[in-house]
Amino acid sequence: MRSKTLYFNPTLFKKNLTRFWPLWGGVSLVGVLFPLALLTIVIQEGSFGHAVSDPLEFTKGYYLVVAYAVPVISLIYGALCALAVWGWLYNSRSVGMYHSLPATRKELFATDFLSGMAMMLIPYAITGALTVAVSATVGAMDPVGLLVTVLCVLGESFFYFATATLIVFFTGNPFAFVGFYGIFHFLAAGAEQLIALLMTQFYFGVEQAYEGVAEFLSPTLCLIRHVSPYGEYERIDTAEGWVEYGHLEFVTLQNAWVIGLYALAGVALLGCAWALYRRRRSESAGEVVAVGWMKPVFRYGCALCAAFTGGSALYVIFCTGFQTGATAGVLPMAVCMVVAGVIGYYIASMLLAKSLRVFRGSWKGVLATGIAAAAACVFISADPFGVESWVPEAGELEGAYISLHARNGYLDVDISDQATMQKVLDLHRTVLSEKERLNDRDGGFWNAGSGYMNLSYWVEGKRISRYYRLPFSEAGTQAQLESLQKAASLATDPVIQENNIFEQILWEDIVSTRLIHGYIGDIYHRDTREIDGMDLSPEQAKTLEAAVRRDIQAGNFGKTVFLADEEERDRLVYFGSIQLDYNVTWKPEVQNYRNGDDVRTVSFEISVYCTETLKALEDMGILDASHRLLTCAEYYGMEWQEREEGAYAAESFPEHIAEESTVGYAGEAY
Amino acid sequence: MIQVQNAVKRFDGFAALDGATLSVPAGSVYGLVGPNGAGKSTLIRCLTGIYRQDEGTLTVDEQPVWENRALKSRVAAIADDWYYFPQAAIRDMCKFYRGFYPNFSMERYEKLKEVFQIDEKRPLRRLSKGMQKQAAFWLALSAMPDYLILDEPVDGLDPVMRRQVWSLVLGDVSQRGTTVLVSSHNLRELEDVCDHVGILDHGKVLLERSLAQLQDNMVKLQVVFQNGGGVPEDLEVLHASHVGRIHTLIMRMGAEEATNRLAVYEPMLVDAVPLTLEEIFIYELGGADYAVKDIVL
Repeated sequence: MRSKTLYFNPTLFKKNLTRFWPLWGGVSLVGVLFPLALLTIVIQEGSFGHAVSDPLEFTKGYYLVVAYAVPVISLIYGALCALAVWGWLYNSRSVGMYHSLPATRKELFATDFLSGMAMMLIPYAITGALTVAVSATVGAMDPVGLLVTVLCVLGESFFYFATATLIVFFTGNPFAFVGFYGIFHFLAAGAEQLIALLMTQFYFGVEQAYEGVAEFLSPTLCLIRHVSPYGEYERIDTAEGWVEYGHLEFVTLQNAWVIGLYALAGVALLGCAWALYRRRRSESAGEVVAVGWMKPVFRYGCALCAAFTGGSALYVIFCTGFQTGATAGVLPMAVCMVVAGVIGYYIASMLLAKSLRVFRGSWKGVLATGIAAAAACVFISADPFGVESWVPEAGELEGAYISLHARNGYLDVDISDQATMQKVLDLHRTVLSEKERLNDRDGGFWNAGSGYMNLSYWVEGKRISRYYRLPFSEAGTQAQLESLQKAASLATDPVIQENNIFEQILWEDIVSTRLIHGYIGDIYHRDTREIDGMDLSPEQAKTLEAAVRRDIQAGNFGKTVFLADEEERDRLVYFGSIQLDYNVTWKPEVQNYRNGDDVRTVSFEISVYCTETLKALEDMGILDASHRLLTCAEYYGMEWQEREEGAYAAESFPEHIAEESTVGYAGEAY
Repeated sequence: MIQVQNAVKRFDGFAALDGATLSVPAGSVYGLVGPNGAGKSTLIRCLTGIYRQDEGTLTVDEQPVWENRALKSRVAAIADDWYYFPQAAIRDMCKFYRGFYPNFSMERYEKLKEVFQIDEKRPLRRLSKGMQKQAAFWLALSAMPDYLILDEPVDGLDPVMRRQVWSLVLGDVSQRGTTVLVSSHNLRELEDVCDHVGILDHGKVLLERSLAQLQDNMVKLQVVFQNGGGVPEDLEVLHASHVGRIHTLIMRMGAEEATNRLAVYEPMLVDAVPLTLEEIFIYELGGADYAVKDIVL
């Protein structure tokens, strides 16, 4: 029977579903594994006597799938469904058959779209129905959560299939479809990476990571990063003063409106797809670009992408060795970009013409590509937006991070207080003011290797990073370079050191901590001539922690980080490290994946400058005339002697260490 | 009635149809002939709604073809490279066509089963090219079309099946008044089935007439002039050749007029011989710079 509606052909719909049942059937089969796994968990949990009937926990699970799995699945599956139902557009024989049938293009479009959507939704429907059945059997039905999930899955499926449908009409070739589909979904992120790549090569210290400037144009990334489940658990304050968390009180899908917006965008894209189909010529089957006005866009787009990626690659291969500074040379980079751009132009031309003979009469396009590539190179290298010299104002900073890595140590610290941020900014400005000397690889600073400084700023919710190689390891350069002096000064800053040492327990997700244990390693026993670690009681650990904090405040930590001389460092730093173990309480929303991570350890080494810590150890009787710490130099000397004499023996310790040295025994050393 | 008026269709600037104009009378069998690349398949694809012409009009029963579902349900087409779903058997394609063509007759389908004798459950991809062509005819004729548009329809069919297929088509023409537009290079065969012929070259219809008119409008004469003389210079001929004293002349006029003109030169012998369609095709296109050239390799 013929449908009375003009926009739907049941024969074609049925044919599509019956022709491509292996596709949606296979995906449905994979989907069924999910409720089966859930059923297994429910049965297992039940056998252990746990309650698994909390509807909100199920809803949270649905939301997790909606937020992280459905976008990726729909991205891939949407493309497959589109290729299935619209694949006939890519073959001139099948195009001829379809278009000669007594059906309008509107009818074909609507019916094929609905068939594709049905193929998209069948696996979700089967998986969802079985999951709901499993949850219903344990009394865990949450109608609101289910409705939100269904709407979100519908929205995401519709959006992805609409984008795939739009891309279908851009091209006449299935391989090109895959390429265009990928480009459509990741163009914004890819373009940002390309520009960032070039900026990183040109700008001193600029390390452009992905920031998602126009992330809404990369829907999968946007959905995964912005849509997430959020739940709050019942808070229980225990008699002992601890905070415990009970059952899930509510759960919501944060930023679910983003899915709604994309679904609306899907409607617009579908409209564009229809407009393209109306204008599409049947004879474009097999062509890489089926839409006339898209051909130059494709040609020059390919050329530009090739100029950026290929140009950078050519530069790295052929020119980096001749580079005199840390940043790329404009002229060689421009040459590389022009060459890569022209190659990209010809490749695109060959794909469009489906022929290798594209050289004749192409000089205008080649010239335009060359000029554009060179202009882009010069434009970016000129830094018109002042990216390289940009230093934020302290007031606009929401947070900062500094990482200083030198030969004799390192710091990795998150900073949030204004005064310290100001110091970091000052250091940043100083590094920029010394750019000429720091950027000159032939300037003599780099002979003994280098360390690096990594800065990250959070401004308006975005992270902006800078990376500078600094000659920390070169003896004598600290006196010549103000930036190194300031870095060394920053290394002893109390706030920096506090964050550096106690980083493990300063995480945002930690609600409270309790010091439960301590340990001091490698104490030398002069009487027995043995080296052994020692456990500290909670009280001893607390006393030691207080002393460490006093040393931090006094600027006694971090003095050895930028020492150029390793031997000097070994003479000043003790081999044995100190550990402090904390029992931590996590925020409820992270408890699930922090399960088992209740004890966090703070571990650090001390130097002879840490007088308060050494004194506290002495006061607690841990260090005395018979028990003391060995410096690295002493320890390595001992090890060396042990290797030379062939056997481990306390008696083999050098006598001058065992009897005469007073290092590590605070009572005598300070 | 199928009418094409000044149809133009360009591919990347190349005009495959360049102002083609033709008219297929209702109930006729119209042979569309022309050299390779003349634009025959393009014209057929325009007439079946696959391509949209850039200029001009194409109508069937005075209705435009493009996006005309009602009209297309009365038109069945068999392409030179007929498409079927890769996994499908004839039976599956029958169900598919039945959903599109409202006049599709299962009764006729069942009757034609005896004519074609192909296993309708066997996948089409496993059939030979000729059998696939038979399947195409089986389905097209079952759709009970008022218009049948065929592009190189009997390629791959054996002689018996060719006759069988043409017999079925002509049966539809006589019984149901079906209008047939057929493109083919097999002029000998067209001569047997067509009542109208159009010659297409370089996207233009050079001429179209009924076969009888076409044969009346061109004549082949065998002439022997007195004293062994050659063809007089003032005599208008399309083509002239000779074997010994016998000259063969092709002239664009009726046999009587040609004989009268030759009478002025008092020939010893004048004999008018009817032209085949193939000869008409060759000599007409010879005027359009498409003659068989004597090339010495």
